Amino acid sequence: MKRYNSMLIFIVVGILVLGAGSTAFSEKVLRIGVKSGDMGILDPHLSATTANLPIMDSIFNGLVRFVPGTVDLEKIEPDLAERWTASSDKKVWTFYLRKGVQFHHGFGEMTAEDVVFSLKKAATKETSAWWSNYTMVDKVEALDKYTVRITLKNNIPSVFALVINNRGGMVLSKKAVEKHGDGFKLNPVGTGPFAFEEYVPKQKTILKAHPQYFRGRPKIDKIIYHFMPVDQSREMALEKGELDMIEGTKAEWWVNKMRATKGILVDALPPGELTVVHFNLTKKPLDNLKVRQAMAHALLRDEFREVYGKEITEDAISPVPPGYLGYTSDVKKYEYHIEKAKTLLKEAGYPNGFDLGKMVTSTIYLSSAELLQQQLKKIGIKFEIQIVDHPTMHKMIRSDANALIPYGAARFPIADEYLFQFYHSKSIVGKPTGITNFSHYGEVIPGVDDLIDAATVEPDPEKQKQLWFKAQRKIMEDLPSYPLRVTYVLFARRNNIDLGYELKSNINLHYQITEKTDIK
Amino acid sequence: MFSFIVRRLLLAIPTLWITLTLIFLLVRVIPGDPTAVVMGSYVSEENIKTLKHQMGLDRPLMVQYFDYLYKVCQLDFGKSLITGTPVMKEIKTALPHTLELTACSIVFGILTGIPLGLLLALKRNSLIDYLGRLLSLGGISVPVFYSAILLILLFSLRLDLLPTMGVGKEGSLASRIQHLILPSVTLGILMMSYLTRITRSATLDVLSEDYVRTAYAKGLRDKKIIFKHVFKNASIPVITVLGLYTGILIGSSVITEIIFHRPGLGSLIVGAMLNRDYIVLTSVMTLYAGIVILINLLTDLSYGLIDPRVRLS
Repeated sequence: MKRYNSMLIFIVVGILVLGAGSTAFSEKVLRIGVKSGDMGILDPHLSATTANLPIMDSIFNGLVRFVPGTVDLEKIEPDLAERWTASSDKKVWTFYLRKGVQFHHGFGEMTAEDVVFSLKKAATKETSAWWSNYTMVDKVEALDKYTVRITLKNNIPSVFALVINNRGGMVLSKKAVEKHGDGFKLNPVGTGPFAFEEYVPKQKTILKAHPQYFRGRPKIDKIIYHFMPVDQSREMALEKGELDMIEGTKAEWWVNKMRATKGILVDALPPGELTVVHFNLTKKPLDNLKVRQAMAHALLRDEFREVYGKEITEDAISPVPPGYLGYTSDVKKYEYHIEKAKTLLKEAGYPNGFDLGKMVTSTIYLSSAELLQQQLKKIGIKFEIQIVDHPTMHKMIRSDANALIPYGAARFPIADEYLFQFYHSKSIVGKPTGITNFSHYGEVIPGVDDLIDAATVEPDPEKQKQLWFKAQRKIMEDLPSYPLRVTYVLFARRNNIDLGYELKSNINLHYQITEKTDIK
Repeated sequence: MFSFIVRRLLLAIPTLWITLTLIFLLVRVIPGDPTAVVMGSYVSEENIKTLKHQMGLDRPLMVQYFDYLYKVCQLDFGKSLITGTPVMKEIKTALPHTLELTACSIVFGILTGIPLGLLLALKRNSLIDYLGRLLSLGGISVPVFYSAILLILLFSLRLDLLPTMGVGKEGSLASRIQHLILPSVTLGILMMSYLTRITRSATLDVLSEDYVRTAYAKGLRDKKIIFKHVFKNASIPVITVLGLYTGILIGSSVITEIIFHRPGLGSLIVGAMLNRDYIVLTSVMTLYAGIVILINLLTDLSYGLIDPRVRLS
């Protein structure tokens, strides 16, 4: 018996020692915990899920790029294009490409042919989710091997938004797309610092360093993105040192807890997510302006911020998130004033309030929904909350299931994008062109279509901004929605990770991994 | 015995068909679809419609249902709607991990639960009995996700002995075993608790039987009475529970795999559910249902082997 006991102890100790030794890697591997059950597809023209964006960001380049760690469209820098020129009317743009840029997996040099192919693909309905952004593009031509000319039909908010390292602006290898066909979505070939290596369904995606990357060989050899939907699992793995970076939980207690953990750094990235309550104007009595004004006066933004903590949130003032190109805070404000709210309701003919029935939402918006319920109850407006899972909620709010729709979003950092998707009548849910205009603004009451459309084609950037400002002011007068809170995106990393740039913000709502990112 | 096996096999067919139909309907009843998952929430309805057509989701539901049944009969599970990976390939990669985890948990449960149950029955109403019952009650009552996190906190973060995630380094048996310990124990506690309780009560029932009293009166040794007379007769309910709870264990393995980030069927099913990948979801659920039906069938058959009264009835 004694012999068996000592054998057992030997085996257990052996396993622990050998196992512990096996975690040491000779190559530099960056392990990232992504808050998702799986990846989608890796065709940047078709996919835009949060889990994929950071992966695609490391694989592909655009003609221009945001300076790493920023999202300022007014301070972009060259990427695949070395330089560019524009005609005096800003309708003809010529981009001069870098020479000698190599695609991954031996697909050869990137040339104007690949750029033209990629931009045409991005502008085609069947092969791109962003085609509608390119309707103002008249022609894309290769003038020679290293020169691309884009001719516009009309002026657009920013030509750089079309060719930047994001969404339709990503340059793909023409040869690889032709070779893999539909299979390209799992065999992506770009020019970025990291090349796609392997995808294990519902588990992980592995990228390896691209040794011929034009800015120099990346310092990290491999990136592994682990798809881990459970917050606690990611957190514990980071704490144990089995992960290097994770997506965080939106709460101040989480920030404080992680900051108190040895060896962990917490990053809160603006521009954050703007949470707004949309008033469905097709549901009576929300079509009455006085009712909406009463609701605005009854909503206390401070409490919405306190749910997550003041350190990681800021006041939402305008229908466009702060930091976006074309944002203004010079809009009508509705101070918290219950008596005023009650008077307005009385004037609207609802002295005792009213019942809005059911509000379908998901756990992500539960705290906002509960606060709305509590605060609006004070002026007699009642509704019941029904929790469903996130995809179900998305389906239901697009079929007018709710009178009030709490919704949080972050978009490409330009006012046009937010205004068009949430307030243009073309974007009204249920229409073939519908996106996220949940309030039916521009249909039930006149909206800001003219201002958004005029800004789109305005060649003078200053005048363009003025048009966006005007649209934001009108929206806050008409109140098809009411902005509640801006929440930063939270991440944590081991303190031995050097990002290689100053982190102020990020377009992909995730850490950007560049050739300079290192494990110390 | 042969007719008993045939009867049980024939009964499994309608069960499987009803299960398949329910799975198909349940998956399609959930609102939301994979198109929004692929493209994100900010593309137009028109884009969604195009992708839906490409995925074949705009066909009538009945057509999709018969297509599904036809393919399942041929063991063709199709391709993931989102990534286009063959589902069979995904299952082949994931299944061994789930079987490995479930098997280890069952072994842990059997090795700890049955002896503990026997011990508690023999020490009935003693302090050990009370403590053991409390322990098994705790094991059943504490949800798997909670016990998993407690175990990680203790063994990974506090004592720094075991890893929190993954299946270990490929080719390193020690690393694989090390990564298997915590998930197996998490799941195994559940099986241990069920087995402890059922072994205890079954043993107590048998201990009060006349033939046991006779055996004692004959002067047989305790060891012989317990293992030959008591345990053999008490094993029928134990086997029933083992079969029944293996199904529950497979269900609980979903949560365990997610928390420990193990690449099993559980991760497949959750990933597919979150992404509304109908094809992967129905296929993995079908596989789960098939495994549970098979286990129940084997349990039924094993009764017949152990207890002749079952097969004769």
